[in-house]
Amino acid sequence: MANEVCFRTLDLPNPASLETYRSIGGYETLKRIVTEKVPATEIINQVKISGLRGRGGAGFPTGLKWSFMPRYYDGEKYLVCNSDEGEPGTFKDRDIIRYNPHQVIEGMAIAAYTMGVRTGYNYIHGEIWAEYQIFERALEEARAAGFLGENLFGTNFSFNLFAHHGYGAYICGEETALIESIEGKKGQPRFKPPFPASYGVFGKPTNVNNTESYASIPYIMQHGGQAFQDLGVPNSGGTKIFSVSGHVEKPGNFEIGMGTPFPDLLALAGGVWKGRKLKAVIPGGSSTAVVPADMMMQCTMDYDSISKVGKSSLGAGSVIVMDESTDMVKALSRLSYFYYEESCGQCTPCREGTGWLWRVVRRIAEGKGRPEDLELLTDVSNNISGRTICALGDAAATPVISFIKHFRPEFEYYIEHGRSMLAA
Amino acid sequence: MLQIEIDGKAVEVEHGSTIIEAADKLGIPIPRFCYHKKLSVAANCRMCLVQVEKFAKPLPACATPVSDGMKIFTRSEAAVDAQKSVMEFLLINHPLDCPICDQGGECELQDIAVGYGASKTRYTEEKRVVLNKNIGPLVATDMTRCIQCTRCVRFLKEVGGMMELGLINRGEHAEITAYVDKSVDSELSGNIIDLCPVGALTSKPFRYTARPWELARRPTISAHDALGSQLEMHVKNNRVLRTIPREKESINECWISDRDRFAYEGLNSDERLTVPMIRRGDQWVETDWQSALEFASSRIKDAVAREGGNALGVLVSPNSTMEEGFLAKKIARELGCGNVDHRLRRSDFRLDGHFQGTPWMGCNIPDVQDMDRVLIIGSNLRNEHPLLTHRLRQAVRLNAAEISVVNALEDDPLMRVAFKNTCSPDDTINFLLQLLKAMSGLQRLSLCLPPTLNGLLEDVVVSNNAQAMAESLAGHGKDYDLVNPRSAVFLGNMAQQHPRYSEMYSLAEAISALCGATFGVLSEAANRVGLDLARVLPSSGALNARTMLEQPRSAYLLVNVEPEVDCHNAQLVNQALAAAGCVVAMTAYKSSALREADVLLPVTPYTESSGTFMSMEGRVQSFTAVAKPLGEARPGWKVLRVLGNLLGLSGFEYDSSEQVKNEIFGGEKPSRVVWNRLNNNLRELTEVNAKVRTESLQRVGEVPLYESDAIVRRAPSLQKMAAKKPVVAAMNAKLLAQLGLQDGELVKVSQGNGSVRLAAKCDDRVADYCVRVPICAQTAALGDLYGEIQVERAA
Amino acid sequence: MLKDHLKTWLLWELFAGLRLTGKALFKRKVTVQYPEEKTPLSPRFRGLHALRRYPSGEERCIACKLCEAVCPAMCITIDSDERPDGTRRTTRYDIDLFKCIYCGFCEESCPVDAIVMTRHFEFHMEERSQAVIGKQRLLMNGDRLELQIADDRAQDAPYR
Repeated sequence: MANEVCFRTLDLPNPASLETYRSIGGYETLKRIVTEKVPATEIINQVKISGLRGRGGAGFPTGLKWSFMPRYYDGEKYLVCNSDEGEPGTFKDRDIIRYNPHQVIEGMAIAAYTMGVRTGYNYIHGEIWAEYQIFERALEEARAAGFLGENLFGTNFSFNLFAHHGYGAYICGEETALIESIEGKKGQPRFKPPFPASYGVFGKPTNVNNTESYASIPYIMQHGGQAFQDLGVPNSGGTKIFSVSGHVEKPGNFEIGMGTPFPDLLALAGGVWKGRKLKAVIPGGSSTAVVPADMMMQCTMDYDSISKVGKSSLGAGSVIVMDESTDMVKALSRLSYFYYEESCGQCTPCREGTGWLWRVVRRIAEGKGRPEDLELLTDVSNNISGRTICALGDAAATPVISFIKHFRPEFEYYIEHGRSMLAA
Repeated sequence: MLQIEIDGKAVEVEHGSTIIEAADKLGIPIPRFCYHKKLSVAANCRMCLVQVEKFAKPLPACATPVSDGMKIFTRSEAAVDAQKSVMEFLLINHPLDCPICDQGGECELQDIAVGYGASKTRYTEEKRVVLNKNIGPLVATDMTRCIQCTRCVRFLKEVGGMMELGLINRGEHAEITAYVDKSVDSELSGNIIDLCPVGALTSKPFRYTARPWELARRPTISAHDALGSQLEMHVKNNRVLRTIPREKESINECWISDRDRFAYEGLNSDERLTVPMIRRGDQWVETDWQSALEFASSRIKDAVAREGGNALGVLVSPNSTMEEGFLAKKIARELGCGNVDHRLRRSDFRLDGHFQGTPWMGCNIPDVQDMDRVLIIGSNLRNEHPLLTHRLRQAVRLNAAEISVVNALEDDPLMRVAFKNTCSPDDTINFLLQLLKAMSGLQRLSLCLPPTLNGLLEDVVVSNNAQAMAESLAGHGKDYDLVNPRSAVFLGNMAQQHPRYSEMYSLAEAISALCGATFGVLSEAANRVGLDLARVLPSSGALNARTMLEQPRSAYLLVNVEPEVDCHNAQLVNQALAAAGCVVAMTAYKSSALREADVLLPVTPYTESSGTFMSMEGRVQSFTAVAKPLGEARPGWKVLRVLGNLLGLSGFEYDSSEQVKNEIFGGEKPSRVVWNRLNNNLRELTEVNAKVRTESLQRVGEVPLYESDAIVRRAPSLQKMAAKKPVVAAMNAKLLAQLGLQDGELVKVSQGNGSVRLAAKCDDRVADYCVRVPICAQTAALGDLYGEIQVERAA
Repeated sequence: MLKDHLKTWLLWELFAGLRLTGKALFKRKVTVQYPEEKTPLSPRFRGLHALRRYPSGEERCIACKLCEAVCPAMCITIDSDERPDGTRRTTRYDIDLFKCIYCGFCEESCPVDAIVMTRHFEFHMEERSQAVIGKQRLLMNGDRLELQIADDRAQDAPYR
């Protein structure tokens, strides 16, 4: 079973329109919750039972996150949807917005009701324009139909949602940098504590969740938390959209239940292309460790399996498939360059370290590597991890450590012979 | 109070403090670059990472609040490993500039690298380079050295009030810069030189001149404004090469204004007078002390013998030390002369004889930061009191204080002003009457108004603005604390120089009395309070600083005065000096303003002499010389002592300036004397005239920031800053239109029989009917700072 | 006793001594006949100071004052300022050759190899005041002896 939750409208005509969404029962859940005045505790409970974990990459239990927002607060609170989707290999949120924007809107409205919020922002990353316009149109439709705005359904619950277009920075996907960007400042992360639930947008309590997380909420509240959990496996409840890219026949987004074995997902994507053999897979976006083919084929697509068996992390579920022709050193060089370019430059280890890592890897890829370079790379990566303001530092260090750990012979060959191990 | 353990030592710290604050208080060193105790926390250098029990990652000490039972290790293997790795990261892109970098020897990066850096680098790739920007004549930039700690950014935003520097671009390309083609213009900008932990921001005037270990550090007190900032002068080979702040939390915290920091250049100016000079005809002839002093004393004796003591007029600069002022006054009194005054820029003396004591600020400087309602009358805050303005800014930022400003100029004080009234100097009186009426109308206030004022208020119509301001000052109905009022009414420099100052003072005092606010005067110069306390004032019935010029004397003794730029009416003072038979000028500089003098006695500026200043909060601060006198110049008090002896007066046997100080305070402890004498109350209120209102053009003759005294005027870097604002005749668009003038047109500005040609400029910060023409050498042909002025198109 | 008498009257010790003298008379002398002969100098010899230039002609000294700070005899006096072209240079660089103990610390501490000690040690002054040599003289020393200086530094470089 596929496309059960977020991609429910995918195969219907005019999938992004309000009509289509209502035809599958859209906004009925919101109406029921608001008019029946379902208590917030019950909603949070259902979300906890559903086992929904943050779909942006961190995997933090959503129900628990919602419970952090202060119940009684004298002042404005905010809701933010993180559609920045900068993680290399991830393109699911774009499709959610493109094919099912109303589900995001309904999910955010339910969240707003639960946490007592009146204003929400959907931060869409600056690199996509058509999807942004689709979302704006969806917002207009929802406002016109009375699903957004003041005194919804005749109650005193008001929720105003706005789309906020970013300007093209990976770092703005970090929740505190995103908040800074919404405030009109430079997208630089803040140190935590204080967490957004205490000090977020304009200093007010804010809840930040990923697009897919919000989009999962209407299904959870419609069918119940347990139903959602049952779509997946224990500790990884529900479905997940996996963005499969790389050396496959049919790259794309696949919404399947958590716990699906990796070979099945690979088959959905048409298998490794050109009949080649699988070499390595990055399971959760470039910030997660690379997993060699044999280990990956043993994994099922859920948090526990990938971390225990694959020694990596599910992350955002962006599966990058690499076949036997992939030069791992060049791949690492390109990945390191990404982090070097995207570092915000605030804290010392990331600002200086990402540049150092990239330059050394590039030097190896150019054939000018030295024997001590591998130890240097590992040491520098360990010096960056855990010592930065945000996780970009760890994200930059993880690929370096994992690539060298699993594919050391390739690096050593480059250093010794000045060229790639792979035949021409 | 929480119990924590740092490095095995159990200690008790306050709730809410961070690890680094606790460690600093206990003297446990934690390396840091971006943390500064006076700025917000950024936690971006990551140098202060320490290990905390039960946390896997090292935590930044500056951003982690302590919790009860926390165990912190600053020297454990994990902590030191983190600190060393951050140090390594900082050094990989840092240029090898130490030999040519001015910060060498006092560089935080060097010092911490000694402890946490490796002796060899592992980095063999290319280093990034950042282009330099020119951000002004005061701060030199070498931005490749910058480690992006953002202390400068946070300082200019939080303390300076405007974010003039920012971190642009991201990652390795991140750099600190000002806006495109803009410079850093804050009057506190020099402090970023102290803040910068590396040599990215350094002092431009000091560039390349000396290493910190060669400099002798000698303490002194600022002689440029009444805050009494504590300074440290760095001297090499008897020249002051730079000035940095001394830390004094209760006065200047750890900052000083640019004026205090860079004025030292004026001390080494070529215009320093190093030999006594006597004028013969049109020629100035150099001579020796003996001849000059004998010339001076004989001429003074003759004048006094011919016409009595009142033939002499003594003008003392308000930046002089108490000793200089006191000795000058003593000479005058012993000669039977009561015409002594130091209030050179004052024009309204009707309050003389009505004071119960010496007017002062009314409270202590740190109290300003705790205020929540302040009314400032007649002050261009940033120009006059840069560091006090910073305190007000913090009050607004941290206490949501409501500031109200009544002034003829609406210059932006870079903080939120809750209420303001911009009106001409004359209209200020009318507005204050409205304020008073509004205040008395607020019912909770049970104190009655003095009968003299009640009659005046009958016809006064209270405007909405005045009502709002009065309500703000009175606290919006909240209970106020009479013992420690958190509200204040202050009079600024422009008010003190105003021709209706006494009326403003009376009204302001009444307003503050009604609402229980602290009342005070933000004194105009470094030592107004001190010289007032030493009674360097005209004796009863004698001539004051204005009348002794309006009725020219036969002889004048000028102490540290440059007449046409230091006095209220340049024309008046020049005429009076020209008419006088003998003008004895004690001065540190050769100046064209002293062209009418007959003998120039070279005295030292305050850095080469010992003396005492009293700040506006009444603090008595003595200092000693930081360098030996230049050439033949001698400390002012010594010259006056010898002059006193040569004039045949008794009681001038002083061996040290301490003896003079002792005599001033009557042998008692200064603090005891001061406590009894500082008093802002008037014995009786002076007459207030509500109806007087002129429709003619009034001049607003403010004293620009870098024109305040002789030393500052000769500091080239500060003058370059001043030159960014050319001297113009500024007026608002309405007035320009009324006069039929265009913005930028050349106009002739005249007062009395003197005129100046200036460009007219449209400036909507100027009140109606007012023309803003500051006092400086260029406008020294004009008259009163605040008075009628004519403006017409230049032919 | 007889032996002693014999030794005395036959001048025994005298001849023993003369034998030694005779041996030394014909032995190879180690005395160096200075000034016609000179002892060999090592490239590390510490003689008169000189201020070097780069091959482009630009003076090396950038007024970092490390030599002044490290000098144990405090014989170096430096004043510095910004040159019109914006670079950091000395306006005064004096060495008091009488105070100097010729230890070579200044040369060791210089980060740009500006102040060096040459092989030149045969200098004199006519008056005491001439012992304080200034920047011009030092640069002149450097210009005159640059070839020798460069050669000496090249020889020593592998060991630094």
